[in-house]
Amino acid sequence: MATIHDEIDSWLVADLHGELSNSERNALHAHLVDCGACRKTHQEIKVMNKILEETLAPQKPDPAFEQRMLAGFRNRVPQRTGLVKLLVGLMRLRAAQIAAVAAVLLGLVQIGRMITGEPATAPRERERYAQVEATAPQPPESRPSQTGALGRSGGIAAGRPQDFAIEEPPASPAARSKFQREGKAGATTVAPAKAAQAETTESEASVASSESSANAEQAGKSSVETPAPELANRKLIRNATVDLEIVSFDNAVQKITAFANEEHGYVATTGSEKQANGKLRGQVVVKVLPESLDRFLQKVRSLGQLKNQTLGTEDVTKEYFDTDARLKNAHVMEQRLIEMLKTKTGKVSDLLQVEKELGRIREEIEKMQGELKYWDSRVQFATVTISLAEKDMEEPAAFLIRERAQLALYAPDVEKTYNEIKSLASPRVQITNAQLNRDYSGRVSAQMSMLIAPEESDGVIGSVKGFGRVENFQTQTQRIAQGGNAGAAGSENARTKRDKVDLNIAISREEQEQAFQQTSLRIRTSSVDEKAKELGALAEKQGGRVRSSTFNRDPDGRAVANVSLRVPMKNYLAIMQSLDSLGKVENVSVQRQDRTDAQIDEANAPADVSIQVYTQGNIVSQESSLLATLRRTLAQSAGAIMWSLRMIGVAIAFLAPWAIAIIGVIWIARRVIRARQSKP
Amino acid sequence: MDPSEREKYQAAIHGDREAFEMIIRTHSRTLFAIAYGILQSPEEAEDIVQDSLVKAWKARWRVRDPGKFPAWLATIARHKAHDVFRKRRTVPLSEQVTEPIEPEPANTSALDQRLHSALATLPELHRAALTLRYFEEMDYRTIENSLGLTNGALRGILGRALALMRKQLRPALASID
Repeated sequence: MATIHDEIDSWLVADLHGELSNSERNALHAHLVDCGACRKTHQEIKVMNKILEETLAPQKPDPAFEQRMLAGFRNRVPQRTGLVKLLVGLMRLRAAQIAAVAAVLLGLVQIGRMITGEPATAPRERERYAQVEATAPQPPESRPSQTGALGRSGGIAAGRPQDFAIEEPPASPAARSKFQREGKAGATTVAPAKAAQAETTESEASVASSESSANAEQAGKSSVETPAPELANRKLIRNATVDLEIVSFDNAVQKITAFANEEHGYVATTGSEKQANGKLRGQVVVKVLPESLDRFLQKVRSLGQLKNQTLGTEDVTKEYFDTDARLKNAHVMEQRLIEMLKTKTGKVSDLLQVEKELGRIREEIEKMQGELKYWDSRVQFATVTISLAEKDMEEPAAFLIRERAQLALYAPDVEKTYNEIKSLASPRVQITNAQLNRDYSGRVSAQMSMLIAPEESDGVIGSVKGFGRVENFQTQTQRIAQGGNAGAAGSENARTKRDKVDLNIAISREEQEQAFQQTSLRIRTSSVDEKAKELGALAEKQGGRVRSSTFNRDPDGRAVANVSLRVPMKNYLAIMQSLDSLGKVENVSVQRQDRTDAQIDEANAPADVSIQVYTQGNIVSQESSLLATLRRTLAQSAGAIMWSLRMIGVAIAFLAPWAIAIIGVIWIARRVIRARQSKP
Repeated sequence: MDPSEREKYQAAIHGDREAFEMIIRTHSRTLFAIAYGILQSPEEAEDIVQDSLVKAWKARWRVRDPGKFPAWLATIARHKAHDVFRKRRTVPLSEQVTEPIEPEPANTSALDQRLHSALATLPELHRAALTLRYFEEMDYRTIENSLGLTNGALRGILGRALALMRKQLRPALASID
């Protein structure tokens, strides 16, 4: 155990500081009496203590020190204002912490929705939409059309998933109950009008029972807006046609007009035509109210001899209400889009999309409105078409023989031929139409029509044929009864007369003529250039010519010449044989177009021969040299690097939002933990 | 520890500003003494106290046992002072060397100079204990609390500190006597 002497310093210091207990002090003083060295130390320590007290005491901070510290602290840590203090206090509550985390998550989800453009529609909206649709008054018969309309709106939804995707089945209970009741009403009530009445009240009742009063208002309005179907809930279009044989056309028309006026109708159109025998034939279209249609027909029948009568009714109820329902849907959709345009401040491209959609919907609405109007007008009045023919008492006056001829002419110079044919014109040969066309590619063609006196016709046609190669010559002879009815055509009194011959000519250049036979082949040879020239000479010799020729030599020393020849059919065989002398003939393919309808001069018809003359190039292509291989490898590896860069970009784009979200959550969690730690 | 004292620390840890300001009033002198003991400069010590208080307020939630709050405050101040002291030592050597050679203007100030340089050679904890004792005339119990020492350890430290000082200043003392 350490003695006082060993630790004399600490004993002495504690004594000077008054921190020794009585017994300790006694023990120390006893030791000091005994030990001289410690006495000396005691003196020094006392001096030291004094010096320290004197030196350090002045360094001690002044009395305002605490105040300074406080002021500095207040300066550097500003007092929180009321709201922030309240928030900080709130954040200590566990419930508040949970709520904050939930709010942040919800916020993230909302931001995600805004970014991806997914719908955040309120279910109420959808319900209302379904109800509006359901309350469109419908006769019981047209229920299928209603579901059809629904299905169709589903189709629209497929195009625009944003708004209506989920509402496909009429899920609203009000709508369903309405359907059931409507079915009952249809079964028990015979009068359709009555059924419709019942149905409207039903629908209103069912809507009233639904929770939302706004919905009821909307539905009520929609049923008030369309009272027409309640009155005439079947859309029937009535029309009739009557064929009458009468003595006097004008007289009959007058009487029909009078009848129409009596029945509060009107004459829509009249038309008449004077026939060859001087008799009138015509048509009168009358519009009368459907109720008085039968009476009107009775009256009209008395005008003359009835030859034919049909009475038709077209039921457009289904289509009408179908369109009506679709029109309402479209209106709702239009409203929705307009709202969207007003409120949404999305991307410009989105707004443009909405604008576009709105335009489409409006166009549809107009179309449907027009359709409905058209049907309305047709339903309002029945249409009666009356065909009138004055009675025929006489025999046919004469027969006319009309001849029509047409031919296609292929000439080397279209313009020259055209002028030559034009010069044939004389009082007996009238040119009624002459056209010379030159299109943008410089192709010339001509069309001519002429009327030729019957006695001249053979001569003129013969000379026209001499101008070029004729193809497709057709004549048509028609015997027409003039006056009287055709049934009496066999009578001997009738005279027969030849009318002018109508001749139509189409002139085109020979080049444009489709080849009768097309051949293509390849010739392998050592000297392409030379052989191609030889081919030209060969064609000349056989009465043909070169239509086109190309020559090409590639870097590998491979030369190719394409030569296209046209020769008359009769020389085709000869030229094919002479080709063998040029080189090795390969890949021969022959295509023949049999034009059965046309009369063709087969011997002179053109035959096309396409010849490819070629040499084989160097064995090793430049593409497989070392340098090319190196270049290809480099290009491919660069492509691979670019591809992987793109993939990395995609991965970053995919992960970045998640990383941000996770960092945010961790940050919030850390704040929460801190707040909790400063709680008891 | 006094229950009311403990409650005060508790409240301060939970962000009660008034309680914390009360602690500033009672403890800033202790902190000053600690900082001064290390740095031997009143201005720097005052800055250290200020910084330590702000840091303590910001990090108050880290203290789990309110009873250790004063010791924790002292630790902050000590660390901060130490940081400053370390930075100061990087000042060029020549400046430090020239100091003692300076001509001493008066006898007392020469003694002061010697005292301070003697203090500078003491270990940090010794200096802190000395300043606490001689600035505020604190009793040993409070010093123990502030520095987190036992009674025996504090006595030993103070005894050794004075003995070292005594030995270093012996020539000067002799001249005074």
